[in-house]
Amino acid sequence: MESKELLSHYILESEKINLEKFERKIKIAMISSFTINGLAETLKVKCFENKIRCITFEGGYNQYNQEILDENSNLYKFSPEITFLIFDVRSIFGELFYSPYSLSEQERKNFVNKKNSEITSLIKKFRETSTSKLVISNLGMPHYSPHGIAETKTRYSFHDMIMDFNQKLKETILDFESVYIFDIFCFMIKHGETNVFNFQNYLFGDIKIAINYIPKLAHELMSFVISTLGLTKKCIVLDLDNTLWGGIVGEDGFDGIRLGPQPPGNAYVEFQKTIKALTQRGIILAINSKNNFDDAMKIIQEHPHMILKDNDFACIKINWNDKVSNMKEIANELNLGLDSFVFFDDDPVNRELVRKTIPDVTTPELPDDPSKYVEILQSLNEFSVFQITNEDLNRKKMYSQQRNRQVSEVSSTNLGEFLKTLDLHVSIKKSNSFTIPRISQLILKTNQFNLSTKRYQEDDIRKFSDDDQVLIGCAQVKDKFGDNGITGVFIVKKLNSDEWFLDTFLLSCRVMGREVEKAILNYIINEAKKNGIRKIKSQYIVTKKNKPVENFLPDCGFVQENGFWVFDLTKTFHVPEFLTTNIE
Amino acid sequence: MSEKLYQIISKVMGIPALEINDESSQEDIESWTSFKGYVLLDELETNFNVKFSIDEAMNVKNVGDIKRHLQNHGVQIS
Repeated sequence: MESKELLSHYILESEKINLEKFERKIKIAMISSFTINGLAETLKVKCFENKIRCITFEGGYNQYNQEILDENSNLYKFSPEITFLIFDVRSIFGELFYSPYSLSEQERKNFVNKKNSEITSLIKKFRETSTSKLVISNLGMPHYSPHGIAETKTRYSFHDMIMDFNQKLKETILDFESVYIFDIFCFMIKHGETNVFNFQNYLFGDIKIAINYIPKLAHELMSFVISTLGLTKKCIVLDLDNTLWGGIVGEDGFDGIRLGPQPPGNAYVEFQKTIKALTQRGIILAINSKNNFDDAMKIIQEHPHMILKDNDFACIKINWNDKVSNMKEIANELNLGLDSFVFFDDDPVNRELVRKTIPDVTTPELPDDPSKYVEILQSLNEFSVFQITNEDLNRKKMYSQQRNRQVSEVSSTNLGEFLKTLDLHVSIKKSNSFTIPRISQLILKTNQFNLSTKRYQEDDIRKFSDDDQVLIGCAQVKDKFGDNGITGVFIVKKLNSDEWFLDTFLLSCRVMGREVEKAILNYIINEAKKNGIRKIKSQYIVTKKNKPVENFLPDCGFVQENGFWVFDLTKTFHVPEFLTTNIE
Repeated sequence: MSEKLYQIISKVMGIPALEINDESSQEDIESWTSFKGYVLLDELETNFNVKFSIDEAMNVKNVGDIKRHLQNHGVQIS
């Protein structure tokens, strides 16, 4: 283990760092059935590395029941945004950890049911009392069983009890909003129970995750932090030579590159398969390579062992330009901020260049050995999302349609004419259980066309949806190339019988530049008129990234009045004719 | 070797290496909590490639004890 992975490194760093300087902030509570000293310090350091100011609360030793059941507990006073509740199998099973077979099969089942219902009531109480996200661990599997090899010949065995407990816990949390599982079961598989559990640590201090595995635990928990703050990366940008295949196409030729069933070519096949697997959660792909376009494209299109094909990429830059300019062009074409990208390149010089010039892009170290690529990709927690939406599932298709749109854009002579040919349809939808996950995702992730960049959590959105003083909804945009899915969100607060306040208005980068925002605004204006409102007020809150929305309000006829942008509802609002709107 | 040992203790306890000697104990070093004690043992095990027994781990009251245990594991300490 390298010294920078040791817990002492994090404990010392945590004393040195200054978190005050970061705007981005998160409050994390940790409660557990055992001692997890050092976790708070490690999370602080890891948050610091991600430019997050992290404030932590640690519950008392094995006090999780009291912290959750007592409405006046320090946990609730802390008002966390994420709460980690971490269990271990020894605490849950107690004496039964060593003597599960002192119970009959039926009693073992009853025991698991009882433990599950205890935890369900904790979740219920927590959900009623706090708006924090709750991340609850399942149980790790001990390799040991009192029955030894007969374990697997035993009905409802010790190991079955743990599996059953975990399965029931999973089914329970599916019924709760903003409750998730930290899969400690998989964490133990990843690192091995005999490593993660150290008897000396346990006997000395009831430390059930060995001291030097605390940083690895923190790494996994950071996935939830990244996802809560909407810092999830959206696109992997790939070099080609010695990254997606072995060798250099310009020198080794179509037949000479290493890519196929034999080592070392199979290392690249495996890496490509891992990348492709990530597209299943909505990650998009791009190429940034210094090469002859035709030579490289021939491999992508025709090589029999190439896993990633032409249509797997949302953007392809194969040319002799430097990697940084290409990177910026990719960001531009995909309408994504540079901080949405992870860049893979085997060349240390290119990596350094990108890290120095565009530090917002995440550029992981790649070793010379391609057999290590898969592990490096799988170890990144930057692609974490709480749940997979329909938009995530269809994103790859939508981006390849987008590539077709751009070709069509070039062939139209002007923008207005191009937009007319697109056959744009905007559907205004209510905020309900079907649309809320996507609304929440857009609110957390959208940076550019976002009027106020207010990062409401899913709970807030649910409250707005039930509040008749709030008009909240979203918009789905379709065109002749396909369905872009839900790509617009608005929140209007009904201040009084005269004035409404446009609190949030955003568009996904995918549909920017098509004036669909006017169809959405028109809907809001019509609703306001129906209710006899005189004015809609709004504000443009400047961030580093939301320049694209700067002129939206004045362009739509809002005028400045006492520090607000105000639309006078006696005025008529014109929607471009090429937009078709329907209200669901 | 004493120097390497002092550096590790200094790093874990967050105090200058110059302030450490064989008599430095849990009583003198304020940051030497029981938790920091585990962290120190872990750090020593990794750096000197040894494994302490539970008896050794329990009998660490001062830096001299650590030296003795390391020597028992064949680590040369002046």
